[in-house]
Amino acid sequence: MALLVLPACLLVLGLLIGPMALMFRISLNQFSPTQLMIEAFSFSNYVQAAADPYYQEVILTTLGMALLCTALTLVIAFPTAYWLGRLESRWKSLVVIATLFPLLVGNVVRSAGWMALFTREGLINMVLLKAHVISEPLTLMYTPKAVVLGIIAVVLPYMILTIAAVIESIPRDLEDAAANLGASAFQQFWRVILPLSAPGVAAGSILVFVLCMNTYATAVLLGGPRFKMMAPAIFDQFVRGNNWPMGATLAFMLLAVTMSFTIFGSIAFARRYRMR
Amino acid sequence: MPASLLANLTERPSFNRVLMRTLVVVAYVIIFAPVAMIVATSFFAQEIVSFPPPALTWDWYLNAWDKPEFLRGLVTSLQVALLAAAIGVPIGTAAALAIVRGQFPGKQVIGALLLAPLAVPGVVAGSGLYMFYVLAENALDRDIKATTQGLVAAHVLLTIPWTVRLVVASLQGLDRAAEEAAANLGAGPFTVFRRITLPMMRPGIVAAAMFSFIQSFENLDLSLLLVGPGRITLPVAMLNYLEFRIDPTLAAVATVQILIVGVLMVVTDRFVKLSRVV
Repeated sequence: MALLVLPACLLVLGLLIGPMALMFRISLNQFSPTQLMIEAFSFSNYVQAAADPYYQEVILTTLGMALLCTALTLVIAFPTAYWLGRLESRWKSLVVIATLFPLLVGNVVRSAGWMALFTREGLINMVLLKAHVISEPLTLMYTPKAVVLGIIAVVLPYMILTIAAVIESIPRDLEDAAANLGASAFQQFWRVILPLSAPGVAAGSILVFVLCMNTYATAVLLGGPRFKMMAPAIFDQFVRGNNWPMGATLAFMLLAVTMSFTIFGSIAFARRYRMR
Repeated sequence: MPASLLANLTERPSFNRVLMRTLVVVAYVIIFAPVAMIVATSFFAQEIVSFPPPALTWDWYLNAWDKPEFLRGLVTSLQVALLAAAIGVPIGTAAALAIVRGQFPGKQVIGALLLAPLAVPGVVAGSGLYMFYVLAENALDRDIKATTQGLVAAHVLLTIPWTVRLVVASLQGLDRAAEEAAANLGAGPFTVFRRITLPMMRPGIVAAAMFSFIQSFENLDLSLLLVGPGRITLPVAMLNYLEFRIDPTLAAVATVQILIVGVLMVVTDRFVKLSRVV
């Protein structure tokens, strides 16, 4: 029986764990513009990534975007998750599938949709012009705002589905009891629903934060070439700079941050609130 | 007081209903707006995307395939996704069976290892594989990067955690009475597996196959560094095109991708209730 896990384990070890170890080793090498890579054993690339203003900006932009998008997503997703969790309708499974569907369509397609909405003669500008909210078309493409909206659209379904699963398991009686004892709608939310759904909020927020940190397509397509987040910066190191040691260093830093969040999340909410 | 009590009983006042309904609508508008817009754009007659469109046309769906990068990208992506699912789903199913039914040390660690590909950012895993492939190419003196085999190997990595997770979930909910009954009636272990266990695992396996295929088909991050001239997957081809322009041609290609994913979900939903497995 135990032999049956062997092929899967070998695959993951050979194609994921092995290359990650190789990547860590390469991050300790030195880059040279003429020889590309020089064997070495030092953490100087990590020091450079932390000290150099360019990499600092990349790291801070990524963390800032991830925090902002996670917070906004939580605010928008919570009422929707509550609605979905409490929904009693024969259409419920359809709503769940509809929430899931855009996730499976892929980030490139959805970024393309935003690009079509954001053009100067696009739907958003036309509606705002017709309504006389603005007199000149807005520049929406290649702004951080566009990236924020694009990322939120990508991660919203994850947050909604994670929190809705927890809210479904909270008995309605608790809200009724609180209401009968005189709790206002806000008190019911603040003192009953929110504390009980905390595990879902935490699990969803960690998952979404990690996904935001990893953003590639949305940042490249909606942020433009000058907007740099971690994943595009890593890609550039390999493709434009041919700088394997620095690319490996940045990749390993991103891996360390996202893995520590994921591991922290799975230890704190193991089993019962399995992440999607 | 009695009036407000009655209101509480007849109507369920949770938090501010108006604000709540507004946010629900906002959430679904944000989720669906880009998908709806790209489908709509694919019918705009004018090449420059402007609203409202002067006329509507089907032509882009025919012309899009004149661009070799899209046709080749679609073929490559379908090929890679099919192969990756065909390899990854049996391997992942075997592992899931062993994890649920087997008795061996280190099961927790193995379970975590098999889910690890989900936790590693795609661009990071892709960078590691890229360096691994290039070094292996130099050592073996043969192409690995930008080959179908190289892409399939990487994408199998995506299919394993989904398969393990979905099949483990379907096995855990299994009632073993039927298997015991078959064994008591004289069926050998292999017959029990083939006639009882495997059919009961079917919903999990079907869902795993669909998710594996879709995960591979729409994958961008992992593939970015592993593609090359002549071997470009559809999402990478679309990304490269979009770095220069958005037009109805691309929208038509994107709509085809949306349709493929949608049809797969509808077909799978006939076998397994998707809202229950996910």
